[in-house]
Amino acid sequence: MNKILVCYKWVLDEKDIKINPEDLTVNTSRAKYKISDYDKNAIEAGVLLSEAGDVTVDAVTFGVNTKQSVKDALSRGLNKVYYIADVTAEAADSFVSSNVLASAVNKIGSYDIIICGEGSSDTYNQQVAPRLATILGIPTITFVKEFTVDGNRVIATRKLGDCTEVVTVTGPVVISVLPEINKPRIPSLKQVMAAAKKPSEELKLTDLAINPECIKPKAQNLSTKGYVMNRKNIIYKEANQAVNVAKLVESIAQNGVC
Amino acid sequence: MQGIWLYSEDTTIIKQLLTVGKELKMAMHQPIGVITLCADDANAFISAGADKVCVIKGDSTWAESYADTIADILAKEEASVFLSGGTMRGKDLAAKVAAKLQAALVTDAQTVEFTDNTIKTTRLLYGGLAIATDAVSLPALVTVPPQTYSEAVANGDTQGDIITIEVSVNKENITISNVCPIVKTGVNLSTAKRVVCVGRGLAKQEDLAMVESLAESLDAEIGCTRSIAEDYHWLSNDRYIGISGQKVKPDLYLGLGVSGQVQHVVGIRDSKTIIAVDTNEKAPIFEAADYGIVGDINEVVPLLTKALKTRYF
Repeated sequence: MNKILVCYKWVLDEKDIKINPEDLTVNTSRAKYKISDYDKNAIEAGVLLSEAGDVTVDAVTFGVNTKQSVKDALSRGLNKVYYIADVTAEAADSFVSSNVLASAVNKIGSYDIIICGEGSSDTYNQQVAPRLATILGIPTITFVKEFTVDGNRVIATRKLGDCTEVVTVTGPVVISVLPEINKPRIPSLKQVMAAAKKPSEELKLTDLAINPECIKPKAQNLSTKGYVMNRKNIIYKEANQAVNVAKLVESIAQNGVC
Repeated sequence: MQGIWLYSEDTTIIKQLLTVGKELKMAMHQPIGVITLCADDANAFISAGADKVCVIKGDSTWAESYADTIADILAKEEASVFLSGGTMRGKDLAAKVAAKLQAALVTDAQTVEFTDNTIKTTRLLYGGLAIATDAVSLPALVTVPPQTYSEAVANGDTQGDIITIEVSVNKENITISNVCPIVKTGVNLSTAKRVVCVGRGLAKQEDLAMVESLAESLDAEIGCTRSIAEDYHWLSNDRYIGISGQKVKPDLYLGLGVSGQVQHVVGIRDSKTIIAVDTNEKAPIFEAADYGIVGDINEVVPLLTKALKTRYF
Protein backbone atom coordinates (compact mmCIF):
# COMPACT_ATOMS: atom_id res chain seq x y z
CA MET A 1 0.00 0.00 0.00
CA ASN A 2 2.72 2.48 -0.85
CA LYS A 3 1.43 3.99 -4.08
CA ILE A 4 -1.29 6.55 -3.61
CA LEU A 5 -3.14 8.63 -6.15
CA VAL A 6 -5.34 11.59 -5.34
CA CYS A 7 -7.98 12.87 -7.79
CA TYR A 8 -8.73 16.55 -7.54
CA LYS A 9 -10.89 18.98 -9.48
CA TRP A 10 -9.97 22.51 -10.52
CA VAL A 11 -13.17 24.47 -10.04
CA LEU A 12 -14.49 28.01 -10.14
CA ASP A 13 -14.42 29.68 -6.76
CA GLU A 14 -18.12 30.09 -5.95
CA LYS A 15 -17.41 33.08 -3.74
CA ASP A 16 -16.59 35.17 -6.85
CA ILE A 17 -19.64 34.04 -8.81
CA LYS A 18 -22.29 36.75 -9.06
CA ILE A 19 -25.98 36.40 -9.77
CA ASN A 20 -27.61 39.19 -11.75
CA PRO A 21 -30.75 40.00 -9.73
CA GLU A 22 -32.59 41.24 -12.86
CA ASP A 23 -32.58 38.05 -14.91
CA LEU A 24 -30.87 35.59 -12.53
CA THR A 25 -28.06 34.94 -14.97
CA VAL A 26 -24.91 33.52 -13.45
CA ASN A 27 -21.83 35.63 -13.99
CA THR A 28 -18.62 33.63 -13.66
CA SER A 29 -16.40 36.09 -15.54
CA ARG A 30 -14.69 37.33 -12.37
CA ALA A 31 -14.37 33.95 -10.74
CA LYS A 32 -10.92 32.50 -10.25
CA TYR A 33 -10.19 28.82 -10.14
CA LYS A 34 -9.24 26.86 -7.04
CA ILE A 35 -8.67 23.27 -6.02
CA SER A 36 -12.09 22.04 -4.94
CA ASP A 37 -12.31 22.43 -1.15
CA TYR A 38 -13.16 18.78 -0.50
CA ASP A 39 -10.25 17.67 -2.66
CA LYS A 40 -7.83 19.61 -0.47
CA ASN A 41 -8.80 17.15 2.25
CA ALA A 42 -8.13 14.28 -0.16
CA ILE A 43 -4.66 15.66 -0.99
CA GLU A 44 -3.91 16.18 2.70
CA ALA A 45 -4.98 12.60 3.52
CA GLY A 46 -2.59 11.26 0.89
CA VAL A 47 0.28 13.52 1.87
CA LEU A 48 -0.07 12.64 5.56
CA LEU A 49 0.39 8.96 4.63
CA SER A 50 3.45 9.77 2.55
CA GLU A 51 4.99 11.77 5.38
CA ALA A 52 4.47 8.91 7.79
CA GLY A 53 6.17 6.21 5.75
CA ASP A 54 7.69 5.01 2.53
CA VAL A 55 4.80 6.10 0.37
CA THR A 56 4.55 8.14 -2.81
CA VAL A 57 1.49 10.23 -3.49
CA ASP A 58 0.66 11.46 -6.98
CA ALA A 59 -2.39 13.30 -8.21
CA VAL A 60 -4.43 13.44 -11.37
CA THR A 61 -6.86 16.12 -12.47
CA PHE A 62 -9.17 16.54 -15.45
CA GLY A 63 -10.56 19.93 -16.34
CA VAL A 64 -10.15 23.11 -18.29
CA ASN A 65 -6.91 25.08 -17.65
CA THR A 66 -5.75 22.45 -15.18
CA LYS A 67 -2.11 23.33 -15.88
CA GLN A 68 -2.68 26.37 -13.65
CA SER A 69 -3.52 24.09 -10.75
CA VAL A 70 -0.26 22.17 -10.75
CA LYS A 71 1.83 24.51 -8.60
CA ASP A 72 -0.80 24.82 -5.87
CA ALA A 73 -1.31 21.05 -5.86
CA LEU A 74 2.40 20.25 -5.68
CA SER A 75 3.00 22.76 -2.90
CA ARG A 76 0.61 20.71 -0.76
CA GLY A 77 3.14 17.89 -0.64
CA LEU A 78 2.34 15.71 -3.66
CA ASN A 79 5.18 13.96 -5.50
CA LYS A 80 3.87 14.44 -9.01
CA VAL A 81 0.78 15.80 -10.75
CA TYR A 82 -0.71 14.45 -13.96
CA TYR A 83 -3.09 16.88 -15.59
CA ILE A 84 -5.53 16.53 -18.43
CA ALA A 85 -6.54 19.92 -19.80
CA ASP A 86 -9.30 19.67 -22.35
CA VAL A 87 -12.38 21.69 -23.30
CA THR A 88 -14.38 18.45 -23.14
CA ALA A 89 -14.32 18.99 -19.40
CA GLU A 90 -16.55 22.04 -19.70
CA ALA A 91 -19.67 19.99 -20.46
CA ALA A 92 -18.46 16.82 -18.75
CA ASP A 93 -20.79 15.06 -16.35
CA SER A 94 -19.60 12.50 -13.82
CA PHE A 95 -19.92 9.78 -16.47
CA VAL A 96 -17.32 11.53 -18.63
CA SER A 97 -15.05 12.62 -15.76
CA SER A 98 -14.83 9.16 -14.24
CA ASN A 99 -14.20 7.55 -17.63
CA VAL A 100 -11.35 9.98 -18.31
CA LEU A 101 -9.84 9.53 -14.84
CA ALA A 102 -10.08 5.74 -15.13
CA SER A 103 -8.29 5.82 -18.50
CA ALA A 104 -5.65 8.07 -16.99
CA VAL A 105 -5.11 5.67 -14.08
CA ASN A 106 -4.76 2.78 -16.51
CA LYS A 107 -2.17 4.72 -18.45
CA ILE A 108 -0.01 6.03 -15.62
CA GLY A 109 0.21 2.86 -13.58
CA SER A 110 -1.36 0.96 -10.78
CA TYR A 111 -2.11 2.45 -7.39
CA ASP A 112 -2.91 0.87 -4.06
CA ILE A 113 -5.17 3.61 -2.75
CA ILE A 114 -6.97 6.22 -4.82
CA ILE A 115 -8.32 9.08 -2.73
CA CYS A 116 -11.11 11.44 -3.83
CA GLY A 117 -12.95 14.21 -2.03
CA GLU A 118 -16.52 13.52 -0.96
CA GLY A 119 -17.83 15.65 -3.83
CA SER A 120 -16.70 18.71 -5.75
CA SER A 121 -17.45 22.21 -4.48
CA ASP A 122 -19.02 23.25 -7.80
CA THR A 123 -21.30 20.38 -8.85
CA TYR A 124 -21.13 18.20 -5.71
CA ASN A 125 -22.16 15.10 -7.62
CA GLN A 126 -20.38 12.73 -5.25
CA GLN A 127 -20.11 10.18 -8.03
CA VAL A 128 -16.48 10.02 -9.10
CA ALA A 129 -15.15 7.71 -6.34
CA PRO A 130 -17.76 4.93 -6.73
CA ARG A 131 -17.85 5.28 -10.52
CA LEU A 132 -14.07 5.19 -10.81
CA ALA A 133 -13.84 2.12 -8.57
CA THR A 134 -16.52 0.34 -10.59
CA ILE A 135 -14.79 1.08 -13.89
CA LEU A 136 -11.44 -0.07 -12.47
CA GLY A 137 -13.12 -3.14 -10.98
CA ILE A 138 -11.99 -2.51 -7.39
CA PRO A 139 -13.92 -1.81 -4.17
CA THR A 140 -14.79 1.66 -2.94
CA ILE A 141 -15.26 3.08 0.54
CA THR A 142 -17.14 6.37 0.44
CA PHE A 143 -17.72 9.06 3.10
CA VAL A 144 -14.64 8.16 5.13
CA LYS A 145 -13.96 10.15 8.27
CA GLU A 146 -10.75 8.35 9.23
CA PHE A 147 -8.67 5.48 7.92
CA THR A 148 -5.52 3.54 8.59
CA VAL A 149 -3.37 1.28 6.47
CA ASP A 150 -2.30 -2.09 7.89
CA GLY A 151 -0.22 -4.23 5.56
CA ASN A 152 -2.29 -4.59 2.42
CA ARG A 153 -5.52 -3.61 4.13
CA VAL A 154 -7.26 -0.26 4.37
CA ILE A 155 -9.43 0.07 7.47
CA ALA A 156 -11.80 3.00 7.14
CA THR A 157 -14.57 4.46 9.28
CA ARG A 158 -17.48 5.78 7.25
CA LYS A 159 -19.94 8.33 8.54
CA LEU A 160 -23.38 7.94 7.04
CA GLY A 161 -25.74 10.46 8.58
CA ASP A 162 -27.28 8.18 11.18
CA CYS A 163 -24.45 5.72 11.82
CA THR A 164 -20.79 5.00 11.48
CA GLU A 165 -19.29 1.73 10.32
CA VAL A 166 -15.85 0.29 9.76
CA VAL A 167 -15.06 -1.10 6.33
CA THR A 168 -11.93 -3.14 5.76
CA VAL A 169 -10.74 -3.74 2.22
CA THR A 170 -7.83 -5.93 1.19
CA GLY A 171 -6.03 -4.89 -1.96
CA PRO A 172 -6.48 -1.77 -4.05
CA VAL A 173 -9.35 0.53 -3.16
CA VAL A 174 -10.87 3.90 -4.02
CA ILE A 175 -11.91 5.96 -1.02
CA SER A 176 -13.76 9.26 -0.75
CA VAL A 177 -13.01 11.35 2.32
CA LEU A 178 -15.23 13.69 4.33
CA PRO A 179 -14.02 17.22 5.13
CA GLU A 180 -13.74 16.36 8.84
CA ILE A 181 -10.95 13.84 8.16
CA ASN A 182 -8.22 16.49 8.45
CA LYS A 183 -7.41 20.15 8.16
CA PRO A 184 -5.66 20.84 4.83
CA ARG A 185 -2.37 22.63 5.28
CA ILE A 186 -1.68 26.11 4.05
CA PRO A 187 1.54 25.55 2.07
CA SER A 188 4.59 27.26 3.54
CA LEU A 189 6.83 29.44 1.41
CA LYS A 190 9.39 26.61 1.42
CA GLN A 191 6.78 24.16 0.14
CA VAL A 192 5.71 26.61 -2.56
CA MET A 193 9.33 27.03 -3.65
CA ALA A 194 9.91 23.29 -3.62
CA ALA A 195 6.82 22.79 -5.78
CA ALA A 196 8.53 24.52 -8.69
CA LYS A 197 11.10 21.72 -8.84
CA LYS A 198 8.63 18.85 -8.66
CA PRO A 199 7.51 16.96 -11.75
CA SER A 200 4.22 17.30 -13.57
CA GLU A 201 3.05 15.71 -16.78
CA GLU A 202 0.31 16.56 -19.21
CA LEU A 203 -1.81 13.68 -20.45
CA LYS A 204 -3.59 14.32 -23.72
CA LEU A 205 -7.12 13.01 -24.01
CA THR A 206 -6.11 11.62 -27.41
CA ASP A 207 -3.36 9.52 -25.78
CA LEU A 208 -5.67 7.87 -23.28
CA ALA A 209 -7.14 5.29 -25.68
CA ILE A 210 -10.63 6.28 -24.66
CA ASN A 211 -13.76 5.30 -26.56
CA PRO A 212 -15.32 8.47 -28.05
CA GLU A 213 -18.70 7.39 -26.64
CA CYS A 214 -17.19 7.57 -23.16
CA ILE A 215 -16.52 11.29 -23.39
CA LYS A 216 -20.02 12.25 -24.54
CA PRO A 217 -21.97 13.50 -21.52
CA LYS A 218 -25.16 11.65 -20.62
CA ALA A 219 -26.67 14.65 -18.84
CA GLN A 220 -26.85 17.90 -20.70
CA ASN A 221 -27.17 21.27 -19.03
CA LEU A 222 -30.18 23.17 -20.41
CA SER A 223 -29.92 26.21 -18.18
CA THR A 224 -28.30 27.50 -15.01
CA LYS A 225 -30.05 30.22 -13.08
CA GLY A 226 -29.30 31.98 -9.83
CA TYR A 227 -31.28 30.85 -6.85
CA VAL A 228 -34.01 33.42 -6.15
CA MET A 229 -33.64 35.07 -2.77
CA ASN A 230 -36.43 37.44 -1.99
CA ARG A 231 -35.51 38.95 1.31
CA LYS A 232 -36.32 42.33 2.77
CA ASN A 233 -32.65 43.29 3.26
CA ILE A 234 -33.40 45.96 5.87
CA ILE A 235 -30.06 46.68 7.49
CA TYR A 236 -29.58 48.89 10.55
CA LYS A 237 -26.13 50.41 10.78
CA GLU A 238 -26.23 53.31 13.23
CA ALA A 239 -23.17 53.75 15.41
CA ASN A 240 -25.37 53.48 18.49
CA GLN A 241 -26.28 49.82 18.82
CA ALA A 242 -29.10 50.54 21.24
CA VAL A 243 -30.86 52.39 18.40
CA ASN A 244 -30.30 49.50 15.98
CA VAL A 245 -31.61 46.95 18.46
CA ALA A 246 -34.68 49.06 19.22
CA LYS A 247 -35.45 49.43 15.52
CA LEU A 248 -34.94 45.72 14.89
CA VAL A 249 -37.18 44.66 17.76
CA GLU A 250 -39.86 47.07 16.57
CA SER A 251 -39.71 45.80 12.97
CA ILE A 252 -39.93 42.16 13.87
CA ALA A 253 -42.75 42.86 16.29
CA GLN A 254 -44.69 44.72 13.59
CA ASN A 255 -44.21 41.86 11.19
CA GLY A 256 -45.35 39.33 13.72
CA VAL A 257 -42.06 37.46 13.71
CA CYS A 258 -41.97 37.30 17.49
CA MET B 1 -37.06 1.30 -22.73
CA GLN B 2 -39.58 0.17 -20.16
CA GLY B 3 -40.30 1.02 -16.60
CA ILE B 4 -39.74 3.52 -13.87
CA TRP B 5 -37.74 1.79 -11.16
CA LEU B 6 -37.42 2.94 -7.57
CA TYR B 7 -34.97 1.84 -4.92
CA SER B 8 -33.92 2.72 -1.43
CA GLU B 9 -32.56 0.71 1.48
CA ASP B 10 -35.14 2.66 3.50
CA THR B 11 -38.79 1.68 3.08
CA THR B 12 -40.11 5.12 4.01
CA ILE B 13 -38.07 6.69 1.22
CA ILE B 14 -39.37 4.20 -1.34
CA LYS B 15 -42.88 5.34 -0.42
CA GLN B 16 -41.80 8.95 -1.01
CA LEU B 17 -40.31 7.98 -4.38
CA LEU B 18 -43.61 6.35 -5.32
CA THR B 19 -45.17 9.84 -5.31
CA VAL B 20 -42.88 11.12 -8.06
CA GLY B 21 -42.88 7.66 -9.66
CA LYS B 22 -46.64 7.95 -10.18
CA GLU B 23 -46.24 11.39 -11.78
CA LEU B 24 -43.69 9.93 -14.19
CA LYS B 25 -45.96 6.95 -14.88
CA MET B 26 -48.73 9.30 -15.99
CA ALA B 27 -46.39 11.23 -18.26
CA MET B 28 -44.44 8.28 -19.67
CA HIS B 29 -47.14 5.60 -19.72
CA GLN B 30 -44.75 3.11 -18.22
CA PRO B 31 -45.15 0.82 -15.22
CA ILE B 32 -43.51 1.37 -11.83
CA GLY B 33 -41.14 -1.19 -10.39
CA VAL B 34 -39.75 -1.18 -6.89
CA ILE B 35 -36.49 -2.83 -5.85
CA THR B 36 -36.32 -3.53 -2.16
CA LEU B 37 -34.24 -5.42 0.36
CA CYS B 38 -37.25 -5.71 2.72
CA ALA B 39 -39.54 -8.57 1.67
CA ASP B 40 -42.05 -7.65 4.37
CA ASP B 41 -42.85 -4.32 2.73
CA ALA B 42 -43.49 -5.61 -0.80
CA ASN B 43 -47.29 -5.58 -0.43
CA ALA B 44 -47.24 -2.07 0.99
CA PHE B 45 -45.42 -0.84 -2.13
CA ILE B 46 -48.03 -2.44 -4.36
CA SER B 47 -50.91 -0.86 -2.50
CA ALA B 48 -49.07 2.49 -2.74
CA GLY B 49 -48.84 2.22 -6.52
CA ALA B 50 -46.05 -0.15 -7.58
CA ASP B 51 -46.87 -2.45 -10.51
CA LYS B 52 -44.03 -4.79 -9.74
CA VAL B 53 -41.75 -5.40 -6.77
CA CYS B 54 -38.37 -7.12 -6.96
CA VAL B 55 -37.29 -8.32 -3.56
CA ILE B 56 -33.55 -8.90 -3.33
CA LYS B 57 -32.72 -11.68 -0.93
CA GLY B 58 -29.00 -11.80 -0.43
CA ASP B 59 -26.29 -12.83 1.96
CA SER B 60 -25.04 -9.32 2.76
CA THR B 61 -26.42 -6.81 5.25
CA TRP B 62 -24.44 -4.07 3.49
CA ALA B 63 -26.88 -2.39 1.09
CA GLU B 64 -24.02 -1.10 -1.07
CA SER B 65 -23.16 -4.69 -2.05
CA TYR B 66 -26.23 -4.94 -4.23
CA ALA B 67 -25.16 -2.41 -6.88
CA ASP B 68 -24.33 -5.15 -9.39
CA THR B 69 -27.57 -6.99 -8.68
CA ILE B 70 -29.60 -3.83 -9.20
CA ALA B 71 -27.71 -2.92 -12.37
CA ASP B 72 -28.52 -6.39 -13.70
CA ILE B 73 -32.22 -6.01 -12.88
CA LEU B 74 -32.37 -2.59 -14.57
CA ALA B 75 -30.58 -3.90 -17.67
CA LYS B 76 -32.83 -6.94 -17.93
CA GLU B 77 -36.00 -4.88 -17.44
CA GLU B 78 -34.71 -2.23 -19.85
CA ALA B 79 -35.53 0.43 -17.29
CA SER B 80 -35.93 3.94 -18.59
CA VAL B 81 -35.75 5.65 -15.21
CA PHE B 82 -34.13 4.63 -11.93
CA LEU B 83 -34.74 6.76 -8.86
CA SER B 84 -32.64 6.00 -5.82
CA GLY B 85 -33.30 7.50 -2.39
CA GLY B 86 -30.56 10.07 -1.81
CA THR B 87 -29.18 8.79 1.46
CA MET B 88 -25.40 8.45 1.49
CA ARG B 89 -25.74 4.71 0.94
CA GLY B 90 -28.24 5.35 -1.85
CA LYS B 91 -25.91 7.80 -3.58
CA ASP B 92 -22.96 5.43 -3.32
CA LEU B 93 -25.00 2.58 -4.77
CA ALA B 94 -26.55 4.68 -7.55
CA ALA B 95 -23.13 5.85 -8.76
CA LYS B 96 -21.92 2.26 -8.97
CA VAL B 97 -25.06 1.24 -10.84
CA ALA B 98 -24.59 4.18 -13.21
CA ALA B 99 -20.98 3.20 -13.92
CA LYS B 100 -22.01 -0.39 -14.57
CA LEU B 101 -24.77 0.69 -16.98
CA GLN B 102 -22.64 3.51 -18.45
CA ALA B 103 -25.59 5.73 -17.72
CA ALA B 104 -26.42 9.25 -16.63
CA LEU B 105 -26.86 9.96 -12.95
CA VAL B 106 -28.19 13.19 -11.48
CA THR B 107 -27.34 13.67 -7.79
CA ASP B 108 -29.80 15.23 -5.33
CA ALA B 109 -32.48 16.25 -7.83
CA GLN B 110 -35.03 18.70 -6.49
CA THR B 111 -37.48 17.96 -9.31
CA VAL B 112 -37.78 15.15 -11.86
CA GLU B 113 -40.12 15.57 -14.83
CA PHE B 114 -40.81 14.02 -18.17
CA THR B 115 -41.45 16.76 -20.72
CA ASP B 116 -40.69 17.08 -24.45
CA ASN B 117 -39.94 13.35 -24.44
CA THR B 118 -37.03 13.84 -22.06
CA ILE B 119 -36.31 13.41 -18.38
CA LYS B 120 -35.52 16.82 -16.97
CA THR B 121 -34.14 17.45 -13.53
CA THR B 122 -33.21 20.45 -11.43
CA ARG B 123 -30.42 20.52 -8.88
CA LEU B 124 -28.23 22.96 -6.99
CA LEU B 125 -24.84 24.10 -8.21
CA TYR B 126 -21.96 26.05 -6.63
CA GLY B 127 -22.97 25.20 -3.10
CA GLY B 128 -26.56 26.36 -3.66
CA LEU B 129 -25.89 29.62 -5.48
CA ALA B 130 -27.55 28.46 -8.68
CA ILE B 131 -30.02 25.90 -9.99
CA ALA B 132 -29.16 23.79 -13.02
CA THR B 133 -31.77 22.21 -15.27
CA ASP B 134 -30.46 19.14 -17.05
CA ALA B 135 -31.78 16.93 -19.82
CA VAL B 136 -30.89 13.36 -18.99
CA SER B 137 -30.56 10.61 -21.55
CA LEU B 138 -32.21 7.24 -20.92
CA PRO B 139 -31.77 5.23 -18.86
CA ALA B 140 -31.90 8.22 -16.55
CA LEU B 141 -30.61 7.53 -13.06
CA VAL B 142 -31.45 10.08 -10.40
CA THR B 143 -30.95 10.30 -6.64
CA VAL B 144 -33.70 12.13 -4.78
CA PRO B 145 -33.03 13.48 -1.27
CA PRO B 146 -35.18 12.03 1.53
CA GLN B 147 -38.34 14.04 2.26
CA THR B 148 -38.39 15.67 -1.17
CA TYR B 149 -41.83 14.12 -1.67
CA SER B 150 -44.46 13.05 0.81
CA GLU B 151 -45.29 9.36 1.01
CA ALA B 152 -47.63 7.97 -1.64
CA VAL B 153 -51.06 7.18 -0.28
CA ALA B 154 -51.96 3.51 -0.11
CA ASN B 155 -54.94 2.45 -2.17
CA GLY B 156 -56.28 -1.01 -1.32
CA ASP B 157 -57.47 -2.23 -4.73
CA THR B 158 -54.19 -2.12 -6.67
CA GLN B 159 -52.43 -5.20 -7.95
CA GLY B 160 -48.92 -6.09 -8.83
CA ASP B 161 -46.36 -8.86 -9.09
CA ILE B 162 -43.82 -9.68 -6.44
CA ILE B 163 -40.71 -11.53 -7.48
CA THR B 164 -37.81 -12.58 -5.33
CA ILE B 165 -34.25 -12.59 -6.55
CA GLU B 166 -31.76 -14.60 -4.58
CA VAL B 167 -28.15 -13.54 -4.86
CA SER B 168 -24.82 -14.13 -3.24
CA VAL B 169 -22.82 -10.92 -3.18
CA ASN B 170 -20.41 -11.25 -0.28
CA LYS B 171 -16.85 -10.60 -1.31
CA GLU B 172 -13.79 -11.92 0.48
CA ASN B 173 -11.87 -8.66 0.24
CA ILE B 174 -14.52 -6.47 1.92
CA THR B 175 -15.71 -6.75 5.51
CA ILE B 176 -18.00 -4.50 7.50
CA SER B 177 -17.82 -4.17 11.28
CA ASN B 178 -18.60 -1.90 14.20
CA VAL B 179 -21.84 -0.46 12.82
CA CYS B 180 -22.77 2.17 15.43
CA PRO B 181 -25.70 4.53 15.45
CA ILE B 182 -24.58 8.12 15.93
CA VAL B 183 -25.85 9.25 19.30
CA LYS B 184 -27.66 12.54 18.89
CA THR B 185 -27.33 15.12 21.62
CA GLY B 186 -31.07 15.56 21.63
CA VAL B 187 -31.17 18.66 19.49
CA ASN B 188 -33.35 18.56 16.43
CA LEU B 189 -32.67 21.72 14.50
CA SER B 190 -34.65 20.68 11.44
CA THR B 191 -37.95 21.04 13.31
CA ALA B 192 -36.98 23.99 15.56
CA LYS B 193 -39.24 27.05 15.34
CA ARG B 194 -36.46 29.46 16.22
CA VAL B 195 -32.75 29.05 15.67
CA VAL B 196 -29.90 31.22 16.91
CA CYS B 197 -26.78 30.43 14.90
CA VAL B 198 -23.20 31.34 15.74
CA GLY B 199 -20.37 31.76 13.28
CA ARG B 200 -16.73 32.72 13.27
CA GLY B 201 -17.60 36.19 14.55
CA LEU B 202 -17.71 34.59 17.98
CA ALA B 203 -14.28 35.41 19.40
CA LYS B 204 -14.02 32.74 22.09
CA GLN B 205 -15.87 29.74 23.40
CA GLU B 206 -16.79 31.52 26.66
CA ASP B 207 -18.89 33.94 24.62
CA LEU B 208 -21.32 31.11 24.00
CA ALA B 209 -22.82 31.92 27.41
CA MET B 210 -24.06 35.22 26.02
CA VAL B 211 -25.55 33.41 23.02
CA GLU B 212 -27.26 30.85 25.26
CA SER B 213 -28.85 33.64 27.21
CA LEU B 214 -30.21 35.20 24.01
CA ALA B 215 -31.44 31.83 22.76
CA GLU B 216 -33.21 31.32 26.06
CA SER B 217 -34.99 34.65 25.83
CA LEU B 218 -36.18 33.67 22.34
CA ASP B 219 -36.93 30.08 23.25
CA ALA B 220 -34.61 29.11 20.40
CA GLU B 221 -32.27 26.23 19.64
CA ILE B 222 -28.60 26.99 19.06
CA GLY B 223 -26.96 26.09 15.77
CA CYS B 224 -23.59 26.98 14.29
CA THR B 225 -21.57 27.19 11.10
CA ARG B 226 -19.31 24.38 9.98
CA SER B 227 -16.06 25.76 11.36
CA ILE B 228 -17.50 26.26 14.87
CA ALA B 229 -18.34 22.55 15.01
CA GLU B 230 -15.70 20.90 12.88
CA ASP B 231 -12.65 23.13 13.29
CA TYR B 232 -13.18 24.59 16.76
CA HIS B 233 -15.37 21.86 18.30
CA TRP B 234 -17.18 24.47 20.37
CA LEU B 235 -20.54 22.87 19.58
CA SER B 236 -21.46 19.34 18.57
CA ASN B 237 -21.53 18.33 14.91
CA ASP B 238 -25.32 17.88 14.84
CA ARG B 239 -25.69 21.60 15.47
CA TYR B 240 -23.90 22.62 12.33
CA ILE B 241 -26.07 24.07 9.58
CA GLY B 242 -25.20 24.03 5.90
CA ILE B 243 -25.08 22.06 2.72
CA SER B 244 -23.40 19.05 4.31
CA GLY B 245 -24.92 19.59 7.75
CA GLN B 246 -28.43 20.35 8.98
CA LYS B 247 -31.02 22.12 6.84
CA VAL B 248 -33.28 24.30 8.96
CA LYS B 249 -36.58 26.03 8.21
CA PRO B 250 -37.57 27.87 11.38
CA ASP B 251 -39.92 30.83 11.61
CA LEU B 252 -36.97 32.83 12.84
CA TYR B 253 -33.27 32.39 12.12
CA LEU B 254 -30.86 34.73 13.88
CA GLY B 255 -27.25 34.62 12.69
CA LEU B 256 -24.57 35.99 15.03
CA GLY B 257 -21.18 36.60 13.47
CA VAL B 258 -22.16 34.41 10.54
CA SER B 259 -20.57 35.71 7.34
CA GLY B 260 -23.02 33.86 5.12
CA GLN B 261 -20.97 31.67 2.80
CA VAL B 262 -23.26 30.08 0.28
CA GLN B 263 -22.66 26.62 1.76
CA HIS B 264 -24.20 27.87 4.98
CA VAL B 265 -26.96 29.96 3.43
CA VAL B 266 -28.29 26.97 1.51
CA GLY B 267 -29.06 25.38 4.87
CA ILE B 268 -31.06 28.35 6.19
CA ARG B 269 -32.80 29.89 3.21
CA ASP B 270 -36.12 28.16 3.75
CA SER B 271 -36.42 30.06 7.05
CA LYS B 272 -39.41 32.36 7.22
CA THR B 273 -37.48 35.34 8.59
CA ILE B 274 -33.71 35.72 8.61
CA ILE B 275 -31.94 38.19 10.89
CA ALA B 276 -28.21 38.72 10.91
CA VAL B 277 -25.73 40.52 13.13
CA ASP B 278 -22.20 40.90 11.85
CA THR B 279 -19.44 43.50 11.93
CA ASN B 280 -18.81 43.36 8.20
CA GLU B 281 -21.40 45.39 6.32
CA LYS B 282 -20.40 43.63 3.09
CA ALA B 283 -20.85 40.11 4.50
CA PRO B 284 -23.04 38.06 2.14
CA ILE B 285 -25.34 37.10 5.04
CA PHE B 286 -26.98 40.53 4.73
CA GLU B 287 -28.06 39.72 1.16
CA ALA B 288 -29.77 36.63 2.52
CA ALA B 289 -31.33 38.46 5.47
CA ASP B 290 -34.64 40.23 6.04
CA TYR B 291 -33.20 42.31 8.86
CA GLY B 292 -29.66 42.97 9.87
CA ILE B 293 -27.56 44.92 12.30
CA VAL B 294 -24.04 45.90 11.39
CA GLY B 295 -22.15 45.65 14.64
CA ASP B 296 -20.11 43.64 17.09
CA ILE B 297 -22.08 40.74 18.53
CA ASN B 298 -20.49 41.36 21.94
CA GLU B 299 -22.24 44.69 22.00
CA VAL B 300 -25.45 43.82 20.17
CA VAL B 301 -26.31 40.48 21.75
CA PRO B 302 -26.65 41.69 25.38
CA LEU B 303 -28.78 44.63 24.20
CA LEU B 304 -30.95 42.36 22.12
CA THR B 305 -31.35 39.86 24.95
CA LYS B 306 -32.41 42.64 27.27
CA ALA B 307 -34.86 44.11 24.74
CA LEU B 308 -36.46 40.72 24.14
CA LYS B 309 -36.67 39.94 27.85
CA THR B 310 -38.34 43.27 28.54
CA ARG B 311 -40.79 42.51 25.80
CA TYR B 312 -41.76 39.07 27.00
CA PHE B 313 -41.30 38.98 30.74
